Amino acid sequence: MHITGLLLDAPQANTAANYLPIALQLLFALGFVATMMIVTHLLGPKRKTADKLATFTSGIETHGNARTPMAIKYFLVAILFVLFDVEVIFFYPYAVNFRALGWSGFYSVLMFVGFFIVGFFYIIKKGALVWED
Amino acid sequence: MNAIILSAVLGVVMMFSSVFVKNKSALKHIAAAGLLVLLIANIADTYGCSLFKIDLHNMLRFDKFGLFFNTIGIGATLIYVVLSGRDIEKSGNYVAEYFALIFFVLCGLTLLTSFGNLLMLFIGIEILSIPLYILTGSDKRNLKSNEAAIKYFLMGSFSTGIMLMGIALIYGGTGSFQLEVVRSVFASYKGVSFLEIAGLLFLLVAMAFKVSAAPFHFWTPDVYDGAPSVFTSFMATVVKAAAFVAFIRLFDARVTETSAAVDWKMLFSILIISTLLIGNITAVFQQSVKRMLAYSSIAQAGFMLFALFSLNDMAKEGLLLYAAAYSLATIGIFAILIKMKDVSFEGYNGLAKTQPLLAATNTIFLLSLAGIPLTAGFFAKYYMLASVIKTGSYTWLVIFAVLFAAVSAYYYFRVIQAMYFKNGEAQTDTITPGFKAGMVIVAAIIVIVGILPQTILNWFYF
Repeated sequence: MHITGLLLDAPQANTAANYLPIALQLLFALGFVATMMIVTHLLGPKRKTADKLATFTSGIETHGNARTPMAIKYFLVAILFVLFDVEVIFFYPYAVNFRALGWSGFYSVLMFVGFFIVGFFYIIKKGALVWED
Repeated sequence: MNAIILSAVLGVVMMFSSVFVKNKSALKHIAAAGLLVLLIANIADTYGCSLFKIDLHNMLRFDKFGLFFNTIGIGATLIYVVLSGRDIEKSGNYVAEYFALIFFVLCGLTLLTSFGNLLMLFIGIEILSIPLYILTGSDKRNLKSNEAAIKYFLMGSFSTGIMLMGIALIYGGTGSFQLEVVRSVFASYKGVSFLEIAGLLFLLVAMAFKVSAAPFHFWTPDVYDGAPSVFTSFMATVVKAAAFVAFIRLFDARVTETSAAVDWKMLFSILIISTLLIGNITAVFQQSVKRMLAYSSIAQAGFMLFALFSLNDMAKEGLLLYAAAYSLATIGIFAILIKMKDVSFEGYNGLAKTQPLLAATNTIFLLSLAGIPLTAGFFAKYYMLASVIKTGSYTWLVIFAVLFAAVSAYYYFRVIQAMYFKNGEAQTDTITPGFKAGMVIVAAIIVIVGILPQTILNWFYF
């Protein structure tokens, strides 16, 4: 009774006591995770084979270790993809507010795209997208 | 505003000159010309001639102090590029990009000297730091350079995380990122709560990291030692001074003096004492001049922290003077260090016989760092300590600082001793007459400022 009253009053006051629901939830979350882990360990069957413990990578057999040098061009393409992908993300909110932002918004986006075109020109000229060595 | 936009544009121009300019040695002339344009534009801005009229919504606030510091920073960079441009050329294959990154660092510097909003502080710190992570690792084949870059990057991003946490807490407490609002909340005795104090302490930690004040200095020796010497020179001077200007802009007197919950003076004096102690004592035991200079830069940061301790007019003047004196002297010492074949103390043995002019100018730079009268370093230290005396308390802190200035004389004079009184054949790269002339000019500026410090400070009020 007392605790439900406290829960209902929580939004009104701002003292440490009012964080009790959060503390309860935290305890419940931790307890749930711990219980589940212990219970699955106790109840689950254990059948360990070499094949089962091997790293699963899309069904392809692993070879070598993770520190093998990789060609830098993969990373270059990946990072450039992220950059230009983020550019598109900025277009969505602009498209939604296209009318409201008017000409000044248009000029801002034009400037933004302008910077990207300059960058794009730069990476092309520096040969960052040349795949063949 | 001129300097912020022009430095970014010039950075892009430098990037493209790597595509269009095939002659490598032309690049440093382009960079020097760009810096000259930037310098003139910034001076014009200081006297009210702004090229760009943009409504900034108080995100940036330009004042004389910040703009004047821009002039010092850009001027020091110009001298640095003129003196060490040839060595930047030699340090790798991407010369134009190095210059571009230096321009981007300057863009960060100009943001830091004029931020009016905590978000701008964050963006400025990032624009200042990220190019430096790249420059630190620019010597790709050198393991030490790689180690320095990864260390600097990881620790730098971690300290940025702490800074963001601090900004978030201050936002939570005051409801605004605007510096003016934050200041007024701190200044109104009643309003300050735990959130704001915790936020400001986080910001203190992050900024102390950026200026390499002890106990947040651990990255400094490894990074300064591992980075190519040319870029160490830039990092230890212009960049560090810019971080200090941001620091003093943030920890304004209105923020620290009225919030009684924390004894900021005590906090800063603990920072100062540990920085002076660790910087000076560790520098004594170094065998390499480059590493000694890294620790000496920590020790010098201890002196610059006095400006944050006293926060009066004299402190602000002193910080400008200190930034100029320290940057010039350190750029000069590094310009010579880059030319040395061996950067240990023994490598300097007998430099006075093989290169008398370099030894003489190096002596002036070292004397300036040690704070010997008739050099700029003396008045820099004088203004810092006098500003503490002016606050009327903590006189013991001044005595402590003077003692450590005496300790610093020991390791600076070890270089002078090696150059003049030890026998040996100091090996240097070929020294051009132009380089010698440059060194003489820098040494002359240091002596002139040392005799008439008002030559710099008068410009501040003019």
